[in-house]
Amino acid sequence: MKADVIIIGGGIVGSATAYYLAKRGVKDIIVLESSASIGHGASSRNGGGVRQSGRDVRELPVAMLAVQKFWPTLSEELGVNTEYTQEGNLRLGKTEAHMKKLNQLADNCKAMGLDVRMVDKQEAHTINPYLSDDVIGASFCPTDGHANPLTTTLGYYMKALEMGVHFYTHAKVKGLKKIKGKVSEVIMSDGEVLSAKTIILAAGYASRAIMNTIGLDIPMDDVIDGCIVTEMEPKMFSQMLGTAAADFYGHQTHHGSFVFGAVAGPEAYMDIPPETTNFAHPDTLGATCRAVEGYIPALARSKIVRSWTGWCDCTSDGVCVLGPVEEAPGLILACGFNGHGFGTAPAVAYMLAQMTCGEKPLLDLSALRYERFYD
Amino acid sequence: MFDIQEALKNIGPYVEEADDDLLVCRCEEVTKGEIRRAIHSGLLTIEELRRFLRCGMGLCQGQTCGSLTRRLVAKELHVPVTDIEVATSRSPMRPASMKTCGLDEKGGE
Amino acid sequence: MKIEHKELIVIGAGPAGLSAAIEAASRGIQVTVYDENARPGGQLFKQIHKFFGSKEHHAKIRGFKIGDELLKEAHEKGVEVVLNATVMGMFAQKEITVMINDEVHHVKGDAILVATGASENMVNFRGWTLPGVIGAGAAQTMMNLHHIKPGERVLMLGTGNVGLVVSFQLLQAGCEVVALVDAAKNIGGYGVHAAKLARTGIPFYLSHTIKEAEGDDHVTGVTIAEVDDHFQFIEGTEKHFDVDTICVAVGLSPMAQLLKMDGVGMKDTRGGYVPDCDETGATSIPGIFAAGDVTGIEEASSAMIEGRMSGYAIAEYLGYMTKEEKDAKEEELDQSLDALRQGMFAPKNRGKEITKTEEDILISTNLLKHGFVADDEISRFPGFVHKAAIHPVIECTQNIPCNPCQSACHKGCISIGENMTSLPISVKESTCINCGMCVASCPGQAIFLVEEHEDEDYGLITMPYEFLPLPEVGDLGHALGRSGKALCEAEITQVRAPKSYDHTALVTMKVPYHYIDLARFYKKGDE
Repeated sequence: MKADVIIIGGGIVGSATAYYLAKRGVKDIIVLESSASIGHGASSRNGGGVRQSGRDVRELPVAMLAVQKFWPTLSEELGVNTEYTQEGNLRLGKTEAHMKKLNQLADNCKAMGLDVRMVDKQEAHTINPYLSDDVIGASFCPTDGHANPLTTTLGYYMKALEMGVHFYTHAKVKGLKKIKGKVSEVIMSDGEVLSAKTIILAAGYASRAIMNTIGLDIPMDDVIDGCIVTEMEPKMFSQMLGTAAADFYGHQTHHGSFVFGAVAGPEAYMDIPPETTNFAHPDTLGATCRAVEGYIPALARSKIVRSWTGWCDCTSDGVCVLGPVEEAPGLILACGFNGHGFGTAPAVAYMLAQMTCGEKPLLDLSALRYERFYD
Repeated sequence: MFDIQEALKNIGPYVEEADDDLLVCRCEEVTKGEIRRAIHSGLLTIEELRRFLRCGMGLCQGQTCGSLTRRLVAKELHVPVTDIEVATSRSPMRPASMKTCGLDEKGGE
Repeated sequence: MKIEHKELIVIGAGPAGLSAAIEAASRGIQVTVYDENARPGGQLFKQIHKFFGSKEHHAKIRGFKIGDELLKEAHEKGVEVVLNATVMGMFAQKEITVMINDEVHHVKGDAILVATGASENMVNFRGWTLPGVIGAGAAQTMMNLHHIKPGERVLMLGTGNVGLVVSFQLLQAGCEVVALVDAAKNIGGYGVHAAKLARTGIPFYLSHTIKEAEGDDHVTGVTIAEVDDHFQFIEGTEKHFDVDTICVAVGLSPMAQLLKMDGVGMKDTRGGYVPDCDETGATSIPGIFAAGDVTGIEEASSAMIEGRMSGYAIAEYLGYMTKEEKDAKEEELDQSLDALRQGMFAPKNRGKEITKTEEDILISTNLLKHGFVADDEISRFPGFVHKAAIHPVIECTQNIPCNPCQSACHKGCISIGENMTSLPISVKESTCINCGMCVASCPGQAIFLVEEHEDEDYGLITMPYEFLPLPEVGDLGHALGRSGKALCEAEITQVRAPKSYDHTALVTMKVPYHYIDLARFYKKGDE
């Protein structure tokens, strides 16, 4: 099978890139998803943050681009409700040390032109009246927000499908192959060989083993993370919440349920093969509930209906790898999103489509290139 | 490799049925028609349908509608029910308050 | 984080879980059983009917009594049974989280047995979410555990054993059952269960299903209609009933979510989506076992045997039994289980159309379609005989694994033989002494004692009767046929309810001689 572009990975990055390519008129696009469903990995299993504040400065421009250019009109563009809500991100502090840390983070963002300001206890409680009295202040980024990762990912997928993109599930990639110095073949686990002019590798942590087949490697690990979901509650607040102590994050969805993420600690050391669908740690649920209760006591009576676990593709320096690789022409990498790839995905995908078409991307992505690990 | 475009071509377009307004998931109020339409838009697995429509994601976590949805998907895809993978099971098995779930450091008393 | 440790954790205190716990504890294993309900016993405590099977399967004993016995034995063996304890999750390294009194406990076991049973299936007809549409199991819980009548006028959807048994219990609770409806062409449960409903006058509608439940905020009526071979409604076949309750008994699904959550290998079977385990319940994860309905829907009798098998396998796994001992026990139980899995309704016969009995007698098609053996069909079965002196007439016409009637009669009037699925024979040469034990012991209420007085133009028919109030000697009323149709006037001549009958009263009525082969039920009053 031959195509113009093969995208390995049917997550939000893969699906959205396929969409932007199709929109540009690229005709022959294949997306390969190894599992049974689109958005199987972190694309469906994430906290839904569309956040700029708190980002690494190398990644911040991408997040800002996503918020300014893509998120506000995405529902309309895809014809699905992405539930994008731009009501700000409150990062909460309980101690002076917390406040110092929040100040530092805010200063970093401000230097990059992002509006992040410190709010005192009273203002924090005005923005969110449900906060615990222990919260003594917060940083607030009014242009941050959240969206629904499930409908957004599948929205990109369904739109791309409608535009003729060929999606394959149960499509396990064994490796890549260079032909005359150019990465142009994808070898499937059943031996089938696919070829394309451009191959985009957006397979999360699984990207590592695939790039290893042509001699590339990224210092990257798969780290387990989880979320809890409550029953539907009346509307309480609409900001995205985080904390200086990094002990939980989350928001209330349009549906009414709350999604909160946190870890107990041992999760990161669990030895679980990535293809497993469910591998919760027994301590996560309780630890998350305690953390949330410590900031929003009113939620103590809210019922948990489920918890889920996913894995993040975490790089050694905490930001993603994005762009072509000098020693592997024909290949474009998009992986290592470190658990916060959802919010940036529209901008990332748009620029991947630009690069595929030989255009200069909207942003200078040199800080995110593959070679940074080996300079 | 499962070719989704091919599968969609094989099942044909969505045709409205008289009982499309029947509820399938009563917790999240998802109808048969919504599920059928989503299938014809490319959501061919229970997992994707749950993610997109929330069917089976309410208080009972699909205990009631799980098998109804499975049968519906199988019928729409013209495959045996056993070809349709059931949804992932996740803790807690029964809804429990955040307070209760958080009271687990005392385990064993 | 404190983690409690147990040697064996059993999840579910139903027939399988308790049976396993008893066997494991008997071998010295420290066992803790968790159940989310306030009462142990699982489905057994809702089952007020007498069980089928043979003596080793607790035949002719009522379900809740079997539950009591199991519980007593478990306590004697030192099994810890923790109630109101909901297992919320099952994780790696055999760790579970259990919610008890609004706290979550982390518990680990050297072995875990999952015996969580099954949940009721639903169908979604128009109006299915209206209050008044309930599962048959829920109706059973309301009646038999909480002593609440689910409704006044009830329509039952589903003619499997659950639908039949619960319909009978609804009648016993004083509800009016207006009809039993099933989309299938044939009644799915035991014919004898259907027959005891049909003779009270309840109609069966096969190849029918519910079109709509009516009502604004509660069920006030229901419309059913006939379906074709593709289960599509046939225009113009609608029938309406005024009811306040619709009971749904359309099968059960194994509650195997905990096993799936834990990563146990699963498979699809006719009995549902179940763990892929061997006969002892050993799953793909060493030390994790499953038994009872969670491994595939069957009767409580089978669940008890499966539970015991798992108990032995766990004892071996934990080093309390040698492999040889376990194998020997397993073989023994295998035979017992095998005996239960024989006959017309055996798992291996699911979906097959059976036209003849093991004795090569044409089966009663009327029984499958309408719930009763037609008057012109009954004489071909070996339980049906004529003689002047009192004798049993056994209207048991399907091969099911059940034989308490044979041992109930010490006079040799009833013969089944070695094969417990054989149809019972009424032995004409033997002399019935009218003790009534066969009538009371038949879980299908299919045995009648008949005394023929041709010269004086009357006959006496003794029937099992499980409704209150009991008729009284001298009462006048009507004899009903197998279809429930009033046939003739009848007078009650004897009512017996000694303790040995275990709450099945024997009521004798006098009918004109012409009706001795036809009259099978009694109704007081004019109609």
